[in-house]
Amino acid sequence: MSGCKDYKMTRRQLMANSAAGATLLGMPINQLIAGSGQDHAAKCENVILFWNGGGMSHLDTWDPKPGRPTQGEFDPISTSADGVQISEIFPTVAKQMHHAALVRSIAGTQGAHGRAAYNLQTSFLPGPVQHPGIGSVVAHEKEKMGDLPSFISINGQARTASYLGQRCEAYFIANPGDPDPYLKFPAGVTMEQGNKRLERLEKFNNRFNRDTTDPRLSSTSTSIDDAVRLMRSPALKAFELDKIPAKEIERYGDTAFGRGALLSKRLVEQGVRFVQINRGGFDTHGDNFTRMREHGEVMDPALGSLLQDLSESGMLEKTMVIMMSEFGRTPRINENAGRDHWPKCFSCFMAGGGINGGTVIGSSDEDGGMPKDNPVNVPDIHATICQALGIDPYKEVLTRQGRPMKLVDDGSTIDGLLV
Amino acid sequence: MVVILSTDTNGSNRTLETYVIRTASCVAILFFVSLSTALADPGTVEDKLLSENQAKGINTAPAAPVDDLGFARRICLDLVGRIPTGKEIKTFLAWPAQDRRQRLIEQYMTDEGFADRFSAFFADMLRIRSNQEGGNALLAYVHKAISSDMPYDEMCRKLIATNGKAGRNPEVGFVLGDDADPMALASSTAQVFMGIRISCAQCHDHPFDKWTREDFYSVAAFFGKTRRRENNLTRTVYTTEDTISSVMWPPEDESDAADRKPMKASFPFPYLDETQKLSFIERFEALRAEQQAALQRSEGPSVDDLLASAGAKTKSRLKGGARDLLKVSTEAKSAIRKIDINADLYKRSQLRRELADKITSPRNRYFSRLLVNRLWKDLVGVGFVEPVDDFRENNPASHPETMDYLAEEFVASGFSIRWLVKEIVSTPAYQRAHAPRDEDAAERETLEQAFLVTKIRRMKAEAMYDSIVTAGHLFEVKHLAGQNPRLIKQRIRVPAETPGNEPVSDSASDEAEADTAEYSAMMAEPSMMASTADYGLEKAIEIDFDAVLEADDTSPMIDSMQKMSREDIEAMRMAASPRPKPGVKYVTKMVERTIDDNPKFSSSYRMATPAPAGHFLRLFGQPARVDLGDERVENASMRQALLMLNGQLTNQAARVGPLEPVYQMLNGSNRNLENAVKHSYVEILTREPSAGEIAEAVEMIESGADTMTGFADFRWILLNSNEFRFLP
Repeated sequence: MSGCKDYKMTRRQLMANSAAGATLLGMPINQLIAGSGQDHAAKCENVILFWNGGGMSHLDTWDPKPGRPTQGEFDPISTSADGVQISEIFPTVAKQMHHAALVRSIAGTQGAHGRAAYNLQTSFLPGPVQHPGIGSVVAHEKEKMGDLPSFISINGQARTASYLGQRCEAYFIANPGDPDPYLKFPAGVTMEQGNKRLERLEKFNNRFNRDTTDPRLSSTSTSIDDAVRLMRSPALKAFELDKIPAKEIERYGDTAFGRGALLSKRLVEQGVRFVQINRGGFDTHGDNFTRMREHGEVMDPALGSLLQDLSESGMLEKTMVIMMSEFGRTPRINENAGRDHWPKCFSCFMAGGGINGGTVIGSSDEDGGMPKDNPVNVPDIHATICQALGIDPYKEVLTRQGRPMKLVDDGSTIDGLLV
Repeated sequence: MVVILSTDTNGSNRTLETYVIRTASCVAILFFVSLSTALADPGTVEDKLLSENQAKGINTAPAAPVDDLGFARRICLDLVGRIPTGKEIKTFLAWPAQDRRQRLIEQYMTDEGFADRFSAFFADMLRIRSNQEGGNALLAYVHKAISSDMPYDEMCRKLIATNGKAGRNPEVGFVLGDDADPMALASSTAQVFMGIRISCAQCHDHPFDKWTREDFYSVAAFFGKTRRRENNLTRTVYTTEDTISSVMWPPEDESDAADRKPMKASFPFPYLDETQKLSFIERFEALRAEQQAALQRSEGPSVDDLLASAGAKTKSRLKGGARDLLKVSTEAKSAIRKIDINADLYKRSQLRRELADKITSPRNRYFSRLLVNRLWKDLVGVGFVEPVDDFRENNPASHPETMDYLAEEFVASGFSIRWLVKEIVSTPAYQRAHAPRDEDAAERETLEQAFLVTKIRRMKAEAMYDSIVTAGHLFEVKHLAGQNPRLIKQRIRVPAETPGNEPVSDSASDEAEADTAEYSAMMAEPSMMASTADYGLEKAIEIDFDAVLEADDTSPMIDSMQKMSREDIEAMRMAASPRPKPGVKYVTKMVERTIDDNPKFSSSYRMATPAPAGHFLRLFGQPARVDLGDERVENASMRQALLMLNGQLTNQAARVGPLEPVYQMLNGSNRNLENAVKHSYVEILTREPSAGEIAEAVEMIESGADTMTGFADFRWILLNSNEFRFLP
């Protein structure tokens, strides 16, 4: 069932494509689209993705290498997960690691920011077709819940929904807590006046549409109804952070990132399917350790408190929290005390929503340079996210050119990552 | 760019001087002639349509024409991309009824908005993006080509064949749009200019068309020697020609490296036989000969013209058997080329010139059909072939004879875009009314496909934006300066207990104060970020087309047009984000500032394009222009509604200002609400209101908190209505 109402083709396109499909690779298109069945019970309903742009060092976060030259300035610390150690920059997160799994053997192939970010966010490599980000895939496949948009991106745009259609684009929030002027009547228009306007507009449109059978005319009214429902929704309170006690904000660390994490919790509680929180500054070619310590101080309270709150409220069972980046960083520490781009082996963090807490998937070699066992391809991450949500990653949709395209680029579910 | 050669006035031989001039100025003089080219009989189009319908068993009579005011609104939106002003309507109604439609067509054909509106059309078709190398220059070039009535074939030849530097040679923006990659260009060139979708054949023989992988490679081979180069120092990008082709056959996955040889370029698409005498081609050739003669009389030939004529001479003499003349001609060509100052820097592509000649030839039916089909779809609402760029045997045209008639006449007009537009909007099929609202849905679709009624079309994004600005008198300020102070409350974050620190805006926040030169340059680019904050979804980055074209080599504006994909920009923004400052504690404070609430808006046709994701234009269907086949969609969405209901554009347009005409009808001794209502119906909906509508509006205005508020409510409703956004 598609969550995006506007993803539909004209009759002509459909006919052209199904005619084409009859000969396509000798397999009818409907069979291709049908894909494989689900053989698991989906636990996950929502996703919170922390996108750490710039290429976060795996060695100074999730995959410490104590005693090796590559270790750098941070010591590993023990966590609430038996035998799992992470970097000392995450003391609060360490207490929540029994909820989380780490993938330490991602074998990336892209070393430039743009291409790698594309790969990690879409599962595909950049090419002639723009592929949708994983958030749009989720918005496309999962039924909308509640009044808020299915996919919300905080601080920075998410990737385009491309051929999945405009309804699957992220609703973008520049700065958590800021009021969105488009969600209320403009300054100077009172509530009473605005409501009266809407009433009269409806009357006016009905007179123009008469008894139209043309869906293009009636769809304007549907879109206005949807907008007004959102404007009047109590769910919008989720965006208001100024009434939250200072103490709670403080617990997340009073930073834009912390407020983003807090907002993401409130959004998934309202049924938002996918929240992406963007944050950059991880391209630490120089002064890696000072900067990573600073990043830790920002990220640790936010991520730790989010996991704690979600688990206490029970939301963590159906909410997957992911932190990832486009690649890792070199085992070698350069002359500027920095680390450079390293796609060949890096890590990602996943918790909740059916993730097998307290586990580590794969490992890197002694210096964190190459996967040692259980190497994971980038699309495997997306396939696993889909699997957890009950989305068939191999389902095919049609691009604008009428080319069938899988939701995920040939990934397979990572063994042991899901419960 | 054209190089003009001149000899000195007393006729003696001397070194030829070269002058680089703008293409448009000479073309404008030359081809003004074609503007006055008479219409082919629009009645012929009608006859052919109806007889093709009958052949399919559809004998329904066509709908009556739309009424005069409906026509005026429709033609204005279609030719200049906005609704007509009240003044234009007054003039229109004063003209004699029998020829007012044709006069209005003439008027808008010569309006400067014509080039704006059709630049948006070609920007979609050519996938022009401001944030690609030379993207703005290409847009400005196309704009100039349209306003100067450059023949369509000439424009396309230049886009396909030109090598040069991004920005300085604006045509090169087309190949740079695909990174000068032969495979991407094989796909895009065939699809964009001919409606042949061969991209599938890159990896395997086409599954539902006849094109083979070998065909694909033979087209790619035309681009095989073209190279995209980037100057490491200046970061400027250009294309030039190498001696070795990068396109090898058989493909990598089919053969060992040792067996692969450079692919021979060839044109696999069907083509009218050169020996076949066809009247429309003869008329085309006669017209070109006449234009050529006019050009030589006025300014002397360009290098292109000399090359073309050298080729033509060779061909005609070869027919006579004088084979050795070929050598003479070749020498002449190389001599001519030597004096082209750009030839050494950016080598001409002989292969792409050949391809361009083949594609744009009057004997290539795909080329003329494609534009006819695209423009017909754009103006009439339904294409002969859909999707508009998918011509293949098992996707036949609905009315092939009508389409071919238009295509042949388009060729005979000398590929005049203006001629074709004028011809289409003059047809009865274009001017018809819609089906009745309650027509059975399937029957309505049949009638629309048969061109017996016109399909209801929503305004295109740009037309919608500019129409709101036009209706609301927002191109200029409409309030007196300083009369509308408005208090804005803003949340800012300031470091706690550290006196002397400058406050930082919260949107820059505790983690953002990047200020590297690179980062600022990137953000100064037509931004890929659209923020809801402060009504950002309706703002624009304006481009000055003239400045873009006239900028010289060292212009930083052009040079900063490096290739930046959306992902690169976003990734760089992320990578460049500054370091956090933990340890510094911030507190949130509300500050107030006063602004003069008196905005004006500029035309959406001059914005950096496409607009950022989430922008008004994108929400109303402006495509991203990255993928091939990315057609505009007319879907309604919740986010469109939020923008229209609560956004700046509609609300500022509805708000009354003392500097707009209607103000006088609402105030003082001339106050007359009925007149004000009538005035606004014409301005916003291009029609007179009924007595009932006047009474309803007056009641609405008077029930407002005051007249101005009530009147704003009334206009807001008209602007938000279906009647406003759907063309009559």
